[in-house]
Amino acid sequence: MAVTADNPAPARRLHRRPTPLSARGEPIVWITGMAMVVCMVMILVLLGLALVMGSLTFWPRPIERVTLRTGEALLGVPVRDEAYDPGAQDAAAIAALRQAGQLDPATLDREGRPKRRLYRVGNREFGEPFRWVPLYTIAERSTEPRAVLLERLDWGVWIGIPEAIVRQETIDLPAGSEPPAEGRTPDGLRYEQRVTGEEGPGGAVRVLRRTYLAEGDSTWDQFKLVHPLSRATAAKVRSMQKHDVGEVNFRLESARLKMREAELALARTQSGRHAPISLPAWLSIAGLGLGAVGLGLSLSASRSRALRAGRPDRVGRRMVSAVAWCVGLGALLGAWLERPWAAPDMTPEKLAEVRREYEATTARLNAEYEEILRRIRAVDFEDAATRIVVREITGGRFAPLRQTEPDEPLRLSQVVLGVQANTLSFRGKVGVYLERWREFLLDEPRDTNTAGGIFPVIFGTVSLTILLSVIVVPLGVVAALYMREYARQGLLISIVRIAVNNLAGVPSIVYGVFGLGFFCYFVGEYVDTGPAPAHVAARSSWWVGVLALVGTGVGAAWLGLFARPKPGTAATGNQRALGWCAAALWVGAAGGAVWLLLTTPYFNGLYEANLPNSVFRSRGLLWSALTLALLTLPVVIVATEEAIAAVPRTMREGSYGCGASKWQTVRRIVLPRAMPGIMTGMILAMARGAGEVAPLMLVGVVKLAPELPVDGHFPFVHLERSFMHLGFHIYDVGFQSPDSEAARPLVWTTTLVLVVVVLMLNLSAIRLRSRLRRRFVGGAF
Amino acid sequence: MVAMNTRGGQPQTNLRPIRPVGIDVPSPHHRETALAGAATHSTGDRPSVMDAVRTGAAFEPVIHPEIDALDPIVQTRGFELFYGQTKALHSITMNIPRNHVTALIGPSGCGKSTLLRSINRLNDLVDGVSTRGEILLNGEPVYAPDVDVIDLRKRIGMVFQKSNPFPMSIFENVVYSLRIDGERRRNVLMEACERSLRWAALWDEVKDRLKESALGLSGGQQQRLCIARAIAAEPEVLLMDEPCSALDPLATLKIEELIHDIAERYTVIIVTHNMQQASRVSDYTAFMYLGRLVEFSPTDRIFQNPALPETEQYVTGRFG
Repeated sequence: MAVTADNPAPARRLHRRPTPLSARGEPIVWITGMAMVVCMVMILVLLGLALVMGSLTFWPRPIERVTLRTGEALLGVPVRDEAYDPGAQDAAAIAALRQAGQLDPATLDREGRPKRRLYRVGNREFGEPFRWVPLYTIAERSTEPRAVLLERLDWGVWIGIPEAIVRQETIDLPAGSEPPAEGRTPDGLRYEQRVTGEEGPGGAVRVLRRTYLAEGDSTWDQFKLVHPLSRATAAKVRSMQKHDVGEVNFRLESARLKMREAELALARTQSGRHAPISLPAWLSIAGLGLGAVGLGLSLSASRSRALRAGRPDRVGRRMVSAVAWCVGLGALLGAWLERPWAAPDMTPEKLAEVRREYEATTARLNAEYEEILRRIRAVDFEDAATRIVVREITGGRFAPLRQTEPDEPLRLSQVVLGVQANTLSFRGKVGVYLERWREFLLDEPRDTNTAGGIFPVIFGTVSLTILLSVIVVPLGVVAALYMREYARQGLLISIVRIAVNNLAGVPSIVYGVFGLGFFCYFVGEYVDTGPAPAHVAARSSWWVGVLALVGTGVGAAWLGLFARPKPGTAATGNQRALGWCAAALWVGAAGGAVWLLLTTPYFNGLYEANLPNSVFRSRGLLWSALTLALLTLPVVIVATEEAIAAVPRTMREGSYGCGASKWQTVRRIVLPRAMPGIMTGMILAMARGAGEVAPLMLVGVVKLAPELPVDGHFPFVHLERSFMHLGFHIYDVGFQSPDSEAARPLVWTTTLVLVVVVLMLNLSAIRLRSRLRRRFVGGAF
Repeated sequence: MVAMNTRGGQPQTNLRPIRPVGIDVPSPHHRETALAGAATHSTGDRPSVMDAVRTGAAFEPVIHPEIDALDPIVQTRGFELFYGQTKALHSITMNIPRNHVTALIGPSGCGKSTLLRSINRLNDLVDGVSTRGEILLNGEPVYAPDVDVIDLRKRIGMVFQKSNPFPMSIFENVVYSLRIDGERRRNVLMEACERSLRWAALWDEVKDRLKESALGLSGGQQQRLCIARAIAAEPEVLLMDEPCSALDPLATLKIEELIHDIAERYTVIIVTHNMQQASRVSDYTAFMYLGRLVEFSPTDRIFQNPALPETEQYVTGRFG
């Protein structure tokens, strides 16, 4: 292009540098990529570790027979090896072995330190269930094909070699007979017997006879045959103990509570706290109520007449009518509560009647109880007869049921699972593995949580999380709705927003302390026993308080109406002042309502009869859910506010343009459209709540909950009960367990389950969200 | 910038309208009546309207007498609107005739949308808006304290610049205004839905998928759906705020035909940036500038023979 005066040449750059690397952004890509890789690796290591360790826990491992140089033999499952610093004794023994040329170099590590191996030897009755064995002390290792590992209901694992299955019973032989030590039954089964020394009826000789149902190599086959039956019998006993006895106990307790309630009612009637008020006072209250209701009726009628006639409605008339209705209905309610013709709730005669009924019920229930016990004993007696002899090889003992009787074989029903680990085929191993998982997921824990399942723990976690989200989502959504849709965006609402956001940063244990003090003790006590007697107001002053509350509320509403600016105009200073006055009155009314609740003479608590036992004044599921709801409230509020703010303005305007009111717009347009965002808040809240442990330790989680929060007794859901939680369970099993080696794999497995449970809860919420999103937000041009 | 154009582009010897440029040359007869009409309203050698607007001086807008002779449905009486301290509308007085299409044109920021949204009081939703003067709908004041604004908005339908179907099914979208009135009878809703969709020329396209989300429709369909929604409530006035600005020419054509049909039954007030559109669809056109009404005449008059040179400059695209 020609350079002219109008079109000057561009200024020439002397150096044209190549684009620097930093300008291209490549290093940023590398750095961000590296950071992401580091994050992913850490997360994957955590999850992978939980997955691998957690899923290996239940795989059956071979049992080794180890003969030491001292001649001692033991059976154990090798757990892990490690090198250790030898003591003087070890060093001397190793030196001696080396001299004798018998030292296997494989028993030392590269630096010459001896190695040792941890064996799970079980048999806790006789010693530590885990034993470190230095490798150089081992003379011989072999796999013992007959060795079995028994998981028992109590006392952990038993490892030994099965010898026999016996039927053990006490038999009365005719008086004066000399029972032989051994014999055969008519079926040809061998038995052993010995005189117990007790005497049966009629001078009969009582002997303990042990009949061998299976011996030697056939024992294990017989075990597999008999064991399920035996377990079923034991399950029946347990079920009877738990359900039938529990039912009787529950009914006994209900009868006692009914009786106690009657006594309390009589005490209240006689205490004079509820003495009837004077007739003139009552008449004036009733008159006030009738008059005010009449006024309200006539005002409403004149209003509807005016509306029909096309005259505009007057705010003043509406307000007076509302006041009249409030006062009238309140006074009528009071008059009904204080009705002078009502018979007292309880009289000594009625109480005597209740007492008679109670005694009859108790007698009947006690008889029922005896009958159940008899049935339990019968089944249990049958169950106790079948036993298994499994001899451990160190001391040659077979499993004692109780340590006081060393030759008592193990009850068959005590065995939860028997594994002949060394002869299992792959399929058999898979079967054992699945069976252990089934037990873990569906059974209750036993042996101080070091064995058994974690079903109550999973149940507690899931119900806590669901309850928590049921509480927190409506609360948070309502709060966010007010803050975003209704409140004037000013200083006050900014302060509230900052406060809410700061709540998210408060350490969770603080919530726990608050929950314990406020929910468990304060609210719980109120629910249990009503307002403290010292604080209960006199009935007359309480009703005056009710009137004052109605007045305050109506006044606040009235002031609020006057504080609203005329349409199309800005609020004046006076209106602002009126608005603040109205807000102050509302706060006062709320405070007054709380005061009325705390001093009401008409509420004695729901569980006064249970004293000194507390029901809600204790740590429990409901209070935990409320505490966690408080903890996760900021998450939901922030997410909901953002979701509401993201609803396009055009959509709201469209709705207003159709003549929808604010609430209709919120309900039909804003909330549905914001629902996916609200669900996001819920997911975050659930994830946070499910993983929280510290506050729960204060407000409801226990090491071992005797009952689930759900059962068959009215009202079926018992939110006051304490519960178990996966997070706390991990802590308890891992760090509070008496048998930490046995519990260690369970920590991983429980972690795995926790991760999976949280994942599943979140996945279901995410699925719900994506469905909502398709419905409300999606759509393409 | 506007001043430069006005001043420099045209020697202001008089303010008589000159021949419009760029659109059809009107018949001589038409021009004469235009001259006569303009002469009755303009006050001879008055200063430039643009000057008056800029200095804030009062001036009388040019309103064709034919309009005031018609039966008005919406009347504004010295209506003024403030955003906080800023005056957005300056004493607008105009009568919008019943059962006709009235277009509001003017450059961006001239207050035509604000005026439109003042009629159904949608501006109440904006913080810090205050008003002066009044607007009458069927002779009843819109801004009186005892007016139920919800009821008012039910009598006025509105279609927005950006189509705004609600996040629900097509059927629910159309019957939204009936739903919020508490109408539950299925047959009534269905009838209203079909009628509105037929009016909006959308029935044949969506009749088989009424239950599907409205968000899955195309842009033009969504806008027609919004029109169907607005007329489902049988409004007295239909306000349209640049309804075609986000649409392609074909969809625009459809909507314009639709406006034409609707005008038989409803009063339509339409805000548009598109001069051709205003000339195609409207019966009367009001030209606004910087919050003031400048000229309000029958559409053909505005486009072919406006009373004021400023109007002519705007409609011929020489400023704005």
